[in-house]
Amino acid sequence: MSAPSTSLPAIELDGVGKRYRLAERSLVQALRPSRRRAVRHLWAVRDLDLRVEPGETVGLLGHNGAGKSTLLRMMAGVSEPTTGRVTVRGRVAPLISVGVGFHQELTGRENVYVNGMLLGLTRAEVEARFDEIVDFAELRDRIDTPVKFYSSGMFMRLGFSVAVHVDPDVLLVDEVLAVGDVAFQLKCFDRMRELSARGTTIVLVSHSMHAIGLLCPRALLVQGGRLVFDGPSEQAIEEHHRLLALGMAAADGAEPADPVAVEAEVRRGEQPVARAEQDDELRVVGRVRFDAAVDDPRLVFRVVSEDGQLAYQYDAPMGHRHRSYRAGDVAAAEVRFRPALGAGGTFRLHLLVTDPEGRRVLGRNRDPLLLYVPPRYGVQGFADLEAAVSLDGYDFPHRPLTLGPGQPTGADAFTGAGER
Amino acid sequence: MADAGPAPVLVLEPRPATRRAWLREVAGYWPVLRMLAAKEFKTRYRGTTFGVVWAVVVPLLQATVLAVVFSRIARFEVAGGSYAAYVLTGMLLWSYFATSLPAATTAVVDGSNLADKVWFPRVLLILTVPLSNLIGLAVTHAILLGALPLLGTDLTPRLLALPLAALLLVLLTVGLGSVLGAMHVYFRDTRYLLQAALLVWIYLTPIIYPADLLGRWAGLLDANPLTGVVGLARWAALGGPLPARSVALAGAATAVLLAVAVEVHRRHDRRFVDLL
Repeated sequence: MSAPSTSLPAIELDGVGKRYRLAERSLVQALRPSRRRAVRHLWAVRDLDLRVEPGETVGLLGHNGAGKSTLLRMMAGVSEPTTGRVTVRGRVAPLISVGVGFHQELTGRENVYVNGMLLGLTRAEVEARFDEIVDFAELRDRIDTPVKFYSSGMFMRLGFSVAVHVDPDVLLVDEVLAVGDVAFQLKCFDRMRELSARGTTIVLVSHSMHAIGLLCPRALLVQGGRLVFDGPSEQAIEEHHRLLALGMAAADGAEPADPVAVEAEVRRGEQPVARAEQDDELRVVGRVRFDAAVDDPRLVFRVVSEDGQLAYQYDAPMGHRHRSYRAGDVAAAEVRFRPALGAGGTFRLHLLVTDPEGRRVLGRNRDPLLLYVPPRYGVQGFADLEAAVSLDGYDFPHRPLTLGPGQPTGADAFTGAGER
Repeated sequence: MADAGPAPVLVLEPRPATRRAWLREVAGYWPVLRMLAAKEFKTRYRGTTFGVVWAVVVPLLQATVLAVVFSRIARFEVAGGSYAAYVLTGMLLWSYFATSLPAATTAVVDGSNLADKVWFPRVLLILTVPLSNLIGLAVTHAILLGALPLLGTDLTPRLLALPLAALLLVLLTVGLGSVLGAMHVYFRDTRYLLQAALLVWIYLTPIIYPADLLGRWAGLLDANPLTGVVGLARWAALGGPLPARSVALAGAATAVLLAVAVEVHRRHDRRFVDLL
């Protein structure tokens, strides 16, 4: 990572707070001097100190409403803090959600100019980079079409392309990588690495632990507008999962009791884990308590991806013989598995007990089991068929995926080979 | 990065920018403003066959109808010239004002999709409106110049003052639009209040009727800054005495509005987004 000329932090937040008014004030209320009506406020960000050095790539984690977007807005200079001070050194290119202010009626070409100039380029500079921008977005044949006819993926591609071509000193990325095909996502990752290697500071907000784990050595976790963790992204992800699980458990607490109670955790060896390599031998170890009599139950092991898709399910009768449990019985359950989950990501593991036909769920683990698995190099999708590819007798090597900025994944070469 | 000059440093505090810093920043955005205005102009008539002609036809038609109706029915007469030329002059200025102001008022709110992400002074969104409407104003002025001889008014060197009236009109629109645009972010009633006000405003301005129709109350119209603007334009186009008092008042009102606009925007620029 090349250190830019200045040694001052690229982003500096000192005691930053942001307060929003919860209810809008009407004209009549504003004109009336009485202060009787107490205005309700919400601190979206509170007493937050932060330093990001030039060239760093930092992930920003937190559940919805934790204050991530508010933070990004202040870093982008769009919104001022209610308390404290925000300092951002260098040209900022915010890439906050899809289609950064694209105008629907304008063509892609016109939008590139509008967008580029809004991000601080001169007309001549946009002109000079125009071809590069369009080629990166892979929109050469559609560039003179009004963007209202674009798909959301095309929109995102163009937006991302403009943002990364303004040569920002600070790039703020919010959840944009969720759209678009996987090949383009990988291209974006590579481009962000390239920018990072050239000294661009990147702040990345994503719900994809995959993206954070892949791009950011350091991650911040915000909750309730406060910074609750700042450190290596792996730990941040684990902490995020822990908080997420706590929140879910709290939310689930009020549910009526199922006839079967399940407790489970994921272990590697005897160690509970929230993160595992794809080749690890893992176990889900569970304890099933029957609060009512159940005949011949089934045990179901289910793995669901971040976006709610079923990645894997194994449906097993509990034991080979017919078995009945009486109220008060306790059974030990164990699932041995290898998390060969292709492109990796964060997965939710479920252990369910159903009736003999598998129709009715009698009980499930209340505490969600979250497992993060780093991606396997070159693989897309859930499954990992462990393909070995050769061309004219030349075997493509299985290279391990490397983490951290500046290190090439070679993903570009791989997807490129598949596409062209 | 390497190609840029000294890297810009953004410092955000709960304190507004100084007036000088704010004005300098806005001035620095001039190329962006021009681009936004061009974009606005392009998109407004995109997909239409007649394009900018619409910007001109509507006020002309309005002026023609008024000229015919009021000169025949109400038998309005104006000193020293044709009533048609009188109405035409007034109507062209009014139509710029009445089309620009509502759009300027809602500009910040309407531009939230742009404003939410990238920083630029929000006043740019407002300025875009009167700026992009300049083309229509220029065309109507050209038509006015062409129509004057046909309506029996000679072209004189006084016409050189016509752009001054237009400038005053634009500045007045910018000032008032900027204040209302900021207000509208906080109070969404503003646009409807304006809508209602404009309905009345046209009759509080000597657009359709000659000012002296009001007799000794005519002087009250001078409190309305548009009276001065229209008066100056008519003096340039049609002759007669220069309505110095109303022009001076219009200039003063414009200056005050512009000053208020600067104050409001520099204080609230980075808060608007919280309410969008």
